[in-house]
Amino acid sequence: MKNLMKLAVLGLVVVFLFTSCAKQPTQQIDEAKAAIAAVEAAKGNIYAKDELKKLNDDLQAALDEVNAQSKKLFKKYGKAKEMLAKVKTDAEAVKALIPARIEEAKNAALTAQNEAKAAFDEAKALLDKAPKGKGTKADIEAMKADLAGLEAQLTEVQTAIDGEDYFGAKDKALSIKDKAAAIAEQVKAAIAKVKK
Amino acid sequence: MKWNAIRAALILLCQLSLIFLLQSCQTAPAPPEVEQALRQEQDLWRAGASIYAPEDYQKYRGLLATARKSFEQEELKIGYFRNYDKVKKDFTAILAEGERIQKLVEDKKASLAGEIVARKKDLQSRYETLNTLSLELSQRTLSRKQLAQADVLFRELDRFLEKGNYDEARSRLGPIESLLNQAENILRQQLERYMSQEEIARWKKMAERALEKSRSGNQLVILVSKLERKLVVYRGGEPVKSYEVGLGFNGLSDKLHAGDNATPEGEYRVIKKVSPSKFGKALLINYPNEEDIKRFNEAKKKGYLTASSRIGGLIEIHGGGKDGLTQGCVALDDPEMEELFRLIPVGTPVTIVGTTDPNNKIIAILRREQK
Repeated sequence: MKNLMKLAVLGLVVVFLFTSCAKQPTQQIDEAKAAIAAVEAAKGNIYAKDELKKLNDDLQAALDEVNAQSKKLFKKYGKAKEMLAKVKTDAEAVKALIPARIEEAKNAALTAQNEAKAAFDEAKALLDKAPKGKGTKADIEAMKADLAGLEAQLTEVQTAIDGEDYFGAKDKALSIKDKAAAIAEQVKAAIAKVKK
Repeated sequence: MKWNAIRAALILLCQLSLIFLLQSCQTAPAPPEVEQALRQEQDLWRAGASIYAPEDYQKYRGLLATARKSFEQEELKIGYFRNYDKVKKDFTAILAEGERIQKLVEDKKASLAGEIVARKKDLQSRYETLNTLSLELSQRTLSRKQLAQADVLFRELDRFLEKGNYDEARSRLGPIESLLNQAENILRQQLERYMSQEEIARWKKMAERALEKSRSGNQLVILVSKLERKLVVYRGGEPVKSYEVGLGFNGLSDKLHAGDNATPEGEYRVIKKVSPSKFGKALLINYPNEEDIKRFNEAKKKGYLTASSRIGGLIEIHGGGKDGLTQGCVALDDPEMEELFRLIPVGTPVTIVGTTDPNNKIIAILRREQK
């Protein structure tokens, strides 16, 4: 009888040990989620799309593991904890990558903006010195109006840069540059027409 | 002897155990389909499966997650007991499903790209029409700003199409259409009268009266048609000279008051030959005539004009170049103006109309656009 009691107590201790070691890793889950949220807040959805997707997938896999273990009698969260810790570490690494990528995109946008401005200024300078001769005056007036339209678009590039939409700013700036170059070509053709 | 037999049996047992252990430690190779499926899932995501086939993609991810679980469970087993047959089968099925989704995504993207390109083509055609129209007008600045902006957006759209970024490409269609609508409204305000059959009939009557005058006394008559930018001199009802002309900055409108830069429409006569004038030789006409004064007063009375508005005057047919934009006068190239100046005496009737041709090319463009 005494032995039986000892065995029962031992059993209870074992069960207690198992259950106390098998608490859900809620803190690690929260930390991993917070690390991913920090990546998103740092514009990871724009500048680290692939990495963010992988982080979310890894988090999901870790949560699946937690879920699977929680249904077992003998819960082992060791693997899930490892997975969650990795998600957190990876997220921090991804977050650290983003500022350089933003800087790179910003520089590309600023370069494109400068190129667009240069093309615009060149077309404007050409128009200003273009002789308003026979057959060109009205064309030149039309091209001046075209440039006025471009000027408004250049403002939008600045707005996009101010709003940190660097990819959008770059695409718009390059399109303006192309259009300004096309206008410059038209002005040159008009000048050549006068010289004939 | 007995001990030797026991020792031999023990050695054999150890060897067998070792073989068993070695076999157990050997890891059976994981099926390549597992890695392929994981790569495929990434490719599907990059291709936009979550956008273009969200339900199929979600299902696919569910299947993949289940298969991964069973793969991981198999991995936990001692090598000797692992069996990847089911895992291989599951992942093969997932790869096939992934390929199906990939095709579906590609088809949807192609269809979307097709829609965008078709819509762009329509807008491009409309842009070309409006661009041609705007360049045909005497006042070429009209709507150019909107058209230039639309052109930039077309270029942006092309960039996005090239990158396969269809959402961004599609988002440019609305603003392009809006800019083209604005451009069209500006042009219509100028050209609406030129589409009105009543207006054209009124101008035709004015032109017929001018020709009648020319016929009746074998008289010289000047007829200016603003839309065609033509000045024709008639004698005895027959055209004797024809010149291209330039008009006011707002030349296609009918002049109502000073500073509107419009070229007046009406029946006038040359009241003075000016030489030299500010623009070479000039023929001054009697704008405003009685009709102009009546219209101006009515507009003022109805509040369309401010109390300080003036009717203006000093409308001439002058030199300086047909390419110039005037403040309402009719301008010719200097050599042609010299010729006209010599030909036309004071008192010559001058009729200025919008157009007499109900099927001229600008109207044809507008009608096509309206369809």
